[in-house]
Amino acid sequence: MKRKLSLLLMTALLATTLAACTSSSGGDASTTPAETSNAASEEKTQEADEAPADTGTTQEAEVAETEADELEGEITFWHSFTQGPRMENIQAAAEAFMTDHPKVKINIETYSWGDFYTKWTTGLASGNVPDMSTARAGEVVEMINADAILPLDDLIDSIGRARFYESPIQEMTYSDGNCYAVPIYSHAFVMWYRKDLLEKYNLEVPKTWDEFNEAATAITQGENGEVYGCSVPMGTNDLYATCFLDTYVGSNRESLITQDRKPNLTSPTALEGIQYWVDMYKNNSPADSINFNTLDQATLYYQGKNAFDFNSGFHISGVEANTPELLDYIDCAPVPTINGDGNPDYIVNNMPMVVWKNSAHPEICKAFIEYFYEPDNYIPFLHSVPVGMMPALKEITNDPAFLNNDTIKKYQNAMETISDALSHGTYIAMEYGPCVEAGILANQRVIENMFQDIVLNGTPVEEAAQAAEEQLLELFSAAE
Amino acid sequence: MRGNKKMIASMTSWFFVLPAILVVVLLMLYPVTSSIFYSFTNKNLIKADFRMIGLDNYKAILSDKSFWTAFVTNLKWTAISLAGQLFVGFTAALALNRIKRGSGIYRTLLIIPWAFPSIVLAFSWKWILNGVSGFLPNILVKLGICETAPQFLSSAELAFPTLVFLNIWFGAPLMMVNILSALQTVPQDQYESAQLDGASGIQSFCHITFPHIRMVVGLLVVLRTIWVFNSFDIIYLITGGGPGNKTMTVPIYAYDTGWGMRMLGKSSAVTVLLLLFLLLVCSLYFRLLNRWEKESTS
Repeated sequence: MKRKLSLLLMTALLATTLAACTSSSGGDASTTPAETSNAASEEKTQEADEAPADTGTTQEAEVAETEADELEGEITFWHSFTQGPRMENIQAAAEAFMTDHPKVKINIETYSWGDFYTKWTTGLASGNVPDMSTARAGEVVEMINADAILPLDDLIDSIGRARFYESPIQEMTYSDGNCYAVPIYSHAFVMWYRKDLLEKYNLEVPKTWDEFNEAATAITQGENGEVYGCSVPMGTNDLYATCFLDTYVGSNRESLITQDRKPNLTSPTALEGIQYWVDMYKNNSPADSINFNTLDQATLYYQGKNAFDFNSGFHISGVEANTPELLDYIDCAPVPTINGDGNPDYIVNNMPMVVWKNSAHPEICKAFIEYFYEPDNYIPFLHSVPVGMMPALKEITNDPAFLNNDTIKKYQNAMETISDALSHGTYIAMEYGPCVEAGILANQRVIENMFQDIVLNGTPVEEAAQAAEEQLLELFSAAE
Repeated sequence: MRGNKKMIASMTSWFFVLPAILVVVLLMLYPVTSSIFYSFTNKNLIKADFRMIGLDNYKAILSDKSFWTAFVTNLKWTAISLAGQLFVGFTAALALNRIKRGSGIYRTLLIIPWAFPSIVLAFSWKWILNGVSGFLPNILVKLGICETAPQFLSSAELAFPTLVFLNIWFGAPLMMVNILSALQTVPQDQYESAQLDGASGIQSFCHITFPHIRMVVGLLVVLRTIWVFNSFDIIYLITGGGPGNKTMTVPIYAYDTGWGMRMLGKSSAVTVLLLLFLLLVCSLYFRLLNRWEKESTS
């Protein structure tokens, strides 16, 4: 009996194994559904091409041609628009596109920015990357360096190169002359403040870093822990300390990188900036901000517990969601400078959209992106975070449909300040053009670790900056 | 005929073992061998090409001060967490073993920390301990216990002990449940005889309880040593190894090297060193367990 049972089980196991082998050998194991549908599409195209010759009728030939031109396939789109309205707008645009192209399927997957970076860097080796995605400006060069994304000049020309602002296109154009991304929107880091608190303590909007320090200190002391003058985020799971340091250095029109692409943390301005933010942390910031990431820092401002912050127009929607009663008391201004004169260099983030080399259907990705820029899709998307997302297309900026938004009307000063900042800045360390070193400097958290080392271990600023610079240099060399 | 039967029996056993072998080969052997291979290369996470560089990665790691700091932190993390989990788990198991009524409810309540996914625990604790709006720091101030809100996760002095406390709270229930099961296998008549002979509670524990449960406790310690030494999620989700590397352990160091700095070759070398160390520790543990087993059989 036992032997029979064993034989029966053996046969079952063998049959299952063979069945599994048969099903996997039925097609290449690595073939994705998108590839399968691409093959089907090619087959159909071939059939369509052959059709006119078989029938010889013009009408049928036209039908066949339309069928051949029709988009068909499945794509995966990763984006990092985790907030509800933006996510819904993207989803709505994808659904409308799929209605227009019934043979297309767009799978949308949403990841936070941090997760997105981990996901694409780890997925690259296994080919587990999407067909198209959003990215952070600093990551595009890394993607180009890894030979992971496609040039999009044909798409840009098709949309109309002249319709885009020049600087985002330049920022996404690599040394080989190809442009590898299209800007979906732009924003700039400006100084956000609380009008009511400035009024309460009889303070002017600071124009110099000294004035900024005085104002932050006055508010911290006056509010006795209820509101902090300026929280300084140093968490190693984000790039916020790098943003703060870059804002200080940029205010003196300098860069965290040299023209020959070496880290520049030991210049007099950089050392001054590091010391400035360390002092600001000690005097006017919650101790916990040593671990703060973007969301922690922004939440503090949204909840009215931070008087000053450096961020984009996204702060308006954040405050609206958390403490709407503060909406009348927030505004932004240009970032302070050392002497209060001249135009600072801002951190400008031109949010790119890229198409991955692994994609079996780049034509669908490009068609969807082009469709997305149509005003009916693009303006509602920009309105999902008004003032937060500034148009990448010139004509939209002055489009009455875009300007006809309550938030945009209310925060006219913020719109002007951010628009001005957009024309005076680049992404972190991209002052000398897009380079992989800029991505490393922004994404490797070396600067955040340096700040923590100074604050917690008491390492002298010069020593910590020197060590961070050496570490960055090593990372730059490894990336070559 | 007999030879055929033997062959069929042997094949049958192989067929039954095959799935397990496949799982081991695919899920363990491949990652381990590829890690060993990459540890001798300059493999970068996002670059396809790489070359052999011999022992350079090992030399770089062993001469890196941060690695040794992480290693020492890892040893402290493991030793204190394990001792704490064992103490709390043992105490709770002894107490539960004596409770006759409602022990099921207590057992369920005490197992709660273990039953939740670590991501939920990590974010809950992060919220509770937040230095600005966290419940615990603010209540301590309101009750007058602290003058200012204690910075559990951002103070250089408090971050590590806080994480160790959370790990003890999280791991003790597993110890408790297993030790309690072992305690319930101890024959009660031995305690009665010991009582008649006038043995004290401590003597009963040392001569009856402990010899009966030490194998279970030993195996638990072996397992927990490996898990705690390798634990990543709780630390990464709560402090990410910070502030100022105060909670940086070797697995976090390996992750930062491989996934942060994308030096996959170097990161592989760290994991190989970690594997060797754990193999050494486990062999010592198993030698002790074997001795105990021999003692109890003799």
